Amino acid sequence: MRSLFKLAILFSVPISLIISIFLGRYPVNPGEAVRAILSIATPHLVHSPPETVKTIVVLYRLPRVLAAAITGAALAVTGASLQSILRNPLVDTYILGISAGAGFGAALAIAFLPPVPIEFVAFLGALMAFFITFSIAMLWGKGSVIAIVLSGVIVNALFQAGLSLVKYLCPDPYKLATVTFWLMGSIGAAAFWNKVLRMGIVVTLCAVLLYSIRWRLDILSLGDEEAVALGASPIKERAMVVAVCAMAVATIVCYTGIIGWVGLLIPHIVRLTVGADNRDVLPYSMLLGASFMVVADDLARCLTSTEIPIGILTTVMVAPFYVYLLKRSAGVWR
Amino acid sequence: MRVVVKVDGLRYAYPAGVKALEDVSFDLHEGEILTLLGPNGSGKTTILKCLLRILKPFGAVYIDGERRWDCLKQRELAKFFGYVPQAHYPTFPYRVRDYIAMGRAPYHGMLSLPSKVEYMRVEEVAKMLDIEELLDRTVAELSGGQLQMVLIARTLVQEAKVLLLDEPTAHLDVSNAVKVLDAIREIIKKGIVKAAVMTLHDPTLTALYSDKVALVKDGRVVAYGCPEKVLKSDLLNSIYGVSFDVFKRENRLIVLPLGTK
Ligand SMILES: Nc1ncnc2c1ncn2[C@@H]1O[C@H](COP(=O)(O)OP(=O)(O)OP(=O)(O)O)[C@@H](O)[C@H]1O
Ligand SMILES: [Mg+2]
Repeated sequence: MRSLFKLAILFSVPISLIISIFLGRYPVNPGEAVRAILSIATPHLVHSPPETVKTIVVLYRLPRVLAAAITGAALAVTGASLQSILRNPLVDTYILGISAGAGFGAALAIAFLPPVPIEFVAFLGALMAFFITFSIAMLWGKGSVIAIVLSGVIVNALFQAGLSLVKYLCPDPYKLATVTFWLMGSIGAAAFWNKVLRMGIVVTLCAVLLYSIRWRLDILSLGDEEAVALGASPIKERAMVVAVCAMAVATIVCYTGIIGWVGLLIPHIVRLTVGADNRDVLPYSMLLGASFMVVADDLARCLTSTEIPIGILTTVMVAPFYVYLLKRSAGVWR
Repeated sequence: MRVVVKVDGLRYAYPAGVKALEDVSFDLHEGEILTLLGPNGSGKTTILKCLLRILKPFGAVYIDGERRWDCLKQRELAKFFGYVPQAHYPTFPYRVRDYIAMGRAPYHGMLSLPSKVEYMRVEEVAKMLDIEELLDRTVAELSGGQLQMVLIARTLVQEAKVLLLDEPTAHLDVSNAVKVLDAIREIIKKGIVKAAVMTLHDPTLTALYSDKVALVKDGRVVAYGCPEKVLKSDLLNSIYGVSFDVFKRENRLIVLPLGTK
């Protein structure tokens, strides 16, 4: 049963990627799409399709689909890792306020500090948000599950307010437009080869780091006391994991805006279907996250004549599951 | 008999200011099971956590000869003490095989993984404890007694020298409680671990399974010694406020609680 689910998740990625390349306002038939991609790699061997098709496939569809896949993979793998180290299946970078922190940092950089790299300020914002979330939870809630979720909600709201303030105070109408558009969350904004490349490099690096400590994540998920009894140093190791997750998510947020819920739900589905061990959860979360986001983005761009912001779509798709999880976990909140 | 753990004057207060341990001292000898017996909130769990350095108390613990336990790296200490926490199901439903293998953590750094040989060790230990058929289930599906055996298996895979068990019989029916305690006694008799400290709430099981008993009350050890010496009705009465009938039957000590009069 488990291997069946693994296969299904494995195949969902290429299938969703390929289908998505054909989908869109401008019809591209499958043969043309494949030839367009091949003609880039081997320009002389393949009979080249019309220039328009080539442009659409290679310059618009392909980077867009890849951007969606990278975004989904990053959100899911960071969600899975944070769930392990906080021993809490109800968190992800969005719930913990990390995404909002990164968004605040990025908005600040776009609006007021042009010469600084946006990613770097976003990363600082993400770390700061997590630090505040976790401090509140530790100081007033002994770091319990519900305390972390609640203080995440507070910090999230705080940084969202900060975002509004940045928009309000932004002196330059052009920059204001940039911030506003980007904040709505859109894969379209990231659908350029140079951005895809940057996202790809950072996310791959972070994913490799997280995967290489997969067993350590298992140990940390036993809780601080048992982890210490098994010779680990939970506080130090947790800080490292958070830094890596913040880096991945800060990069994603810089290009696609704030997208919630995906990182929470995907690892949960993976645990239910292929098992709880992080050597499975991490890679299969990345794969399922990628195909989920590709499909969500297809819906965002094809469902109506104008594009629906992807953050709205993922929330609508995932929220019912969250209610269900919340109900199921109510018993363990003591 | 050689002393494997010497506890000398532990004092601990929780951050909130609650004084949990006032002055705790006792010796643990090779081949022995020491039971900490005392009312709720007397400090038993706190003692175990201090030994493990989950909490950092004042005072000293000397392990294996004369090494102070705060001079060791946490990883080295984890090769000495094996912890069986009060049973609770882990948040994520790991496979039992993987869950037991986590006992190998002190032998690995951040990046390394348990090897095939170590997984074979998991099977050997499971065979020895007679829980082989559980290996491919998930931890969430286990009964309380099975979970307890799995946790013990984890400490054996850990190659711990001394086991620290917090209420290993809590929530277990009589047959499972006896099974778990028998297993603990067996692994000590075979020399797989040198000694064990456990906490219990049942004075008769304490009498049956302990080589030494420490009565704990308000963060102090008020009596320490072999069960015959410590499990006396007046002593127990002063601790629990309950009168006891203590008698011997076929050379076994029976401790019967009678009531609060
Ligand atoms: N995390 C904590 N913070 C503050 N005080 C604590 C904490 N844990 C325990 N205490 C207090 O320390 C004292 C000793 O608690 P401990 O858990 O060691 O008792 P115990 O003997 O194990 O009790 P039980 O038999 O109920 O398990 C109690 O007064 C308890 O209220
Ligand atoms: Mg206790």
